Amino acid sequence: MKNLVAALSVVLRKELVDGLRDRRSLISVLAPLALLPLMLFVAMNQASESVERARQITVPVIGAEHARELTGWLDQQAGIELEQGPDQPREAVRNGDVDFVLVIPEDFGKRFAGSEIAEVEIILEGMDRSLDRAVSRVRDLIRTYGQGIADRRLVVRGISPEVARPVRVETIELATQQQRTARLINFMPLILVMGIFVGGLQVAIDSTAGERERGSLEPLLVIPVPRLSIIGGKWLAATAFSLASAVLTAALMGVGLEYSPLQRLGLRLELDGGVMALMVAAIVPLAFSVTALQMVVATLARSYKEAQSYVSFLMLLPMLPLALTMNSPIEDASWRLLVPVLAQQQLIQDAIGGEGVALVDFVVTVLVAAAFAGVCLWLTSDLFRRERIVFGR
Amino acid sequence: MIEVRGLRKRFGDVVAVDEVSFEARNGEVTALLGENGAGKTTTLRSIYGLIQPDAGEVRVDGVDGIAQPLSARMGLGVLSEARGLYPRLTPREHMRYFAHLQGLGRAETETRCDDLVDLLGMQDFADRRAAGLSHGENTKVALARALLHDPANILLDEPTTGLDVMSTRAVRELIVQLRARGKCVVFSSHVMQEVAAVSDRIVVVSAGRVVASGTPAELRRSTGLDDLEDVFVALAGSGGAQE
Repeated sequence: MKNLVAALSVVLRKELVDGLRDRRSLISVLAPLALLPLMLFVAMNQASESVERARQITVPVIGAEHARELTGWLDQQAGIELEQGPDQPREAVRNGDVDFVLVIPEDFGKRFAGSEIAEVEIILEGMDRSLDRAVSRVRDLIRTYGQGIADRRLVVRGISPEVARPVRVETIELATQQQRTARLINFMPLILVMGIFVGGLQVAIDSTAGERERGSLEPLLVIPVPRLSIIGGKWLAATAFSLASAVLTAALMGVGLEYSPLQRLGLRLELDGGVMALMVAAIVPLAFSVTALQMVVATLARSYKEAQSYVSFLMLLPMLPLALTMNSPIEDASWRLLVPVLAQQQLIQDAIGGEGVALVDFVVTVLVAAAFAGVCLWLTSDLFRRERIVFGR
Repeated sequence: MIEVRGLRKRFGDVVAVDEVSFEARNGEVTALLGENGAGKTTTLRSIYGLIQPDAGEVRVDGVDGIAQPLSARMGLGVLSEARGLYPRLTPREHMRYFAHLQGLGRAETETRCDDLVDLLGMQDFADRRAAGLSHGENTKVALARALLHDPANILLDEPTTGLDVMSTRAVRELIVQLRARGKCVVFSSHVMQEVAAVSDRIVVVSAGRVVASGTPAELRRSTGLDDLEDVFVALAGSGGAQE
């Protein structure tokens, strides 16, 4: 046992040094990570821009004189300002001179007075999704105005307006602001998981498929130490890199969000040190399983190149379930805790949602990760015993 | 002391090693002589336990190499066919890595490293990264890491393949020195002159079988030929004829 640990720590130290000297690979991991805060900043800014646009809207109007009452009412609404629209509305929208135009036809007044349906048109290009909120706000306002008119007409005829509204829908949102925020930044687990996968990949491949391709595996296996200590050392080294990358990812994400206009999005994200630490803690067990999995797969590959493509392909594995749940909130289902990646997603969600992570949940994920890693390491160790693998037959 | 008895190994339909038996004594150099693919490497790999033979027995200083591969390997120093280095580590770091894995202490490791650097003439490149080493330098590092723990039995798989004259000489001198220190040295080769120059005993392997073994003098006598190369051609030919 003492020998096993001693040899393991020798292998671990060597792989750490070797990994740190592999500048090319380090840069290939670090460079994309460095872009992370920027990407977050841009994404959040775009989202907030769309909210901002809906809050303060300038509406270009053509034919305002045909509906003085409507335009006057609109102009009084908070955050709405009317201006004279361009003569050629379609052209102007197409050229991007204005975002959209409200057109009131000449016969509006006549039809309105005659209690016919009076039409107005909103002309827009429909490509810029960040305009959606603004346009739908204008549409809603006009509808509200129309509803008011309808009520007045009914009252005049001695009918209660309620008769014309048989059903009313009341939406009650139960999610707290924090929870809604957590849902919006559902991508955070995905990015953290990517950090885990990318960080340990190089060492996992280099110390298995790479070792064989260089011809250094045979001399290493000749040394009379248990295979488990050799594999264990390599595994822990890969895990160390994986964790370092996850911590760095979390930190950079924190920086990106710090400078993002979350308040303007109506979101409150408290990513203080405590929540960050909780997030990282939630992801730690995953690193141990992921690197173990990467090692089995890389050991199975016939060459370094092949290992690289297999291990990169592995990265799609967590993306699938995470992408599927990206736009819908995660139901609290306890079976999730048994599935690596989904479990971590759940825990991170809990951490950001401000509910805290239940210790039991965390312990369950640790046990699952330990079992998963154990199986992978056992498989790797078994592969290292096979002549076909060791000598690349 | 290494004893091999009735070793057999088959890969698919090919019998790579067929009833190979020989004995390598302490203080002697034993050569496994044979053309490429004769089964030398498979035999050596079976001795150091990375290949599980289908039949036969391997003993290293009396320890059963098949039942207790770890214990058997404790007494072995191996230059395997694959002798790759870590490009980002220096030769000295390679030696330290292997010494620590062999369980050598810190101080002992440093003295052994210095000794081997001197012995193999590695002063010029001992602290340069392995990425730029020449083939000869690479082999020296691989030899050094096999000898760090001062093993009693030394297996060298084609130690001089691809080396220039100077490096070949250095390896030969090393083999002679090891013999002088009472080590049991087994090396494989397909180069006649080399085998003739350093070995006490020759085991001629052809198509997986031992076709002859004995001292160089004995082999000359039994075939009635003077030149060892002729001896080899005659023996290898007879081995091939049996197939």
